[in-house]
Amino acid sequence: MDELDCLGLRCPIPVIKVAKHLKEKEVGYQISLLSDDPASAPDLAAWARMTGNNVEVKSATSFKITKLSD
Amino acid sequence: MVSITSNFQSEAPLHPAVIDALGAIFGQSWADSAKLPSDSRKSRLLLDESCETFAKHFGIRSDGVHFLGEVNLGFYLGIFGLIQPESTFSYSATDRSEIFAIAEQLRAQGMQVEELSCDAGGVITSPAPDAKKIVAWQLRNGETGISQPMLADSALQIFADATSSGLRNPLPKNWRTALWDSKAWGGPSGLGIFAVAPDTKYRNPIPHLDNRIVPGSASLPLIIASAMALELWSEREQAERNHLAALALLISNFAKSEIGDVDVIAATHDLISLSFLYIDAERLVSALDRAGFAVDSGSACQATNMEPSHVLAAMGTLTQGNVRITLHHGVTEKQINELLASLKSLVAEQRAN
Repeated sequence: MDELDCLGLRCPIPVIKVAKHLKEKEVGYQISLLSDDPASAPDLAAWARMTGNNVEVKSATSFKITKLSD
Repeated sequence: MVSITSNFQSEAPLHPAVIDALGAIFGQSWADSAKLPSDSRKSRLLLDESCETFAKHFGIRSDGVHFLGEVNLGFYLGIFGLIQPESTFSYSATDRSEIFAIAEQLRAQGMQVEELSCDAGGVITSPAPDAKKIVAWQLRNGETGISQPMLADSALQIFADATSSGLRNPLPKNWRTALWDSKAWGGPSGLGIFAVAPDTKYRNPIPHLDNRIVPGSASLPLIIASAMALELWSEREQAERNHLAALALLISNFAKSEIGDVDVIAATHDLISLSFLYIDAERLVSALDRAGFAVDSGSACQATNMEPSHVLAAMGTLTQGNVRITLHHGVTEKQINELLASLKSLVAEQRAN
């Protein structure tokens, strides 16, 4: 699985990077995101709900993201 | 070029009539209302009239109205003043940081403390009935404008936090202590109004030698000015409520249909909270300010501790790109249309970069 390292980056950059990274990818594509921004957990969950994608929290700084819609 | 600023922050300037009256109020009410001489009797009369005004609007007895020169002290008095042996404490996940601090202290003292969760609409889970349970109940959240339903159960010791709601929400029937902030009706800042319901087992938790309920050092001129502001606000609210509600609806509809990728967190008649995806709130607030519009934000990049808003996080809503638009009396549709046009172009500009 590809990995996107956003450690040290503050909101809203991690969510922007995830969205840009997924743009050209196929539905079903998965990526592991590293982010230590305290806003990432609530904002990735909200982003997934708003855009129809999926986020799984693996740890406080690690997330598995699955593209479910274009 | 003259920049005309439209203010959509939670704070607003004092009502012009109150500003005009302030000099005379300070001239008439300088004397200590507790003393005997005639100037003091005049102060006493003005204080009593103000108490009557607050009591009438709050729907409570005037002898239960007290004043605080430090609003946030009221959170401590309202909760600690109710503590009895075997008391427990409940508060909500969307409560104010002052209440979180009190909860932490009570926990450290060994009290049983419970945090009530909320649903996606910001409605707090009702606490289980228990006569020993003190509940901090925020009538309306200052960040989202979300109002809480009435707590029906009488077997609770309710501290009603009306600091954000002012006159907008009635007190729960079974309230024991309550706190208002003069700013909620456009009154002067630095004044809290504190009330204790009749037959409440309240004990002033601050060391004192007499039977006083609160420290009692609030400024009488500010109390009189706040009562005047309350009368003016209440009259105008009746006339403007529907107009403001229509503008609030216009803003939330525009944000959804014309801007998009937005979480409309709440749209009450005078407060709209919007979170935009892929937006840095600090940049957006600064850009709006340069365009002549002052708004608030609950996003992490706007907070000193870099933590996202615990209120927005508890509701599961987007915390980034948050702007909070407060509609004060007198705002026009033209001002709103200008704000929305600016918001649309600034969000598009930031998303394109």
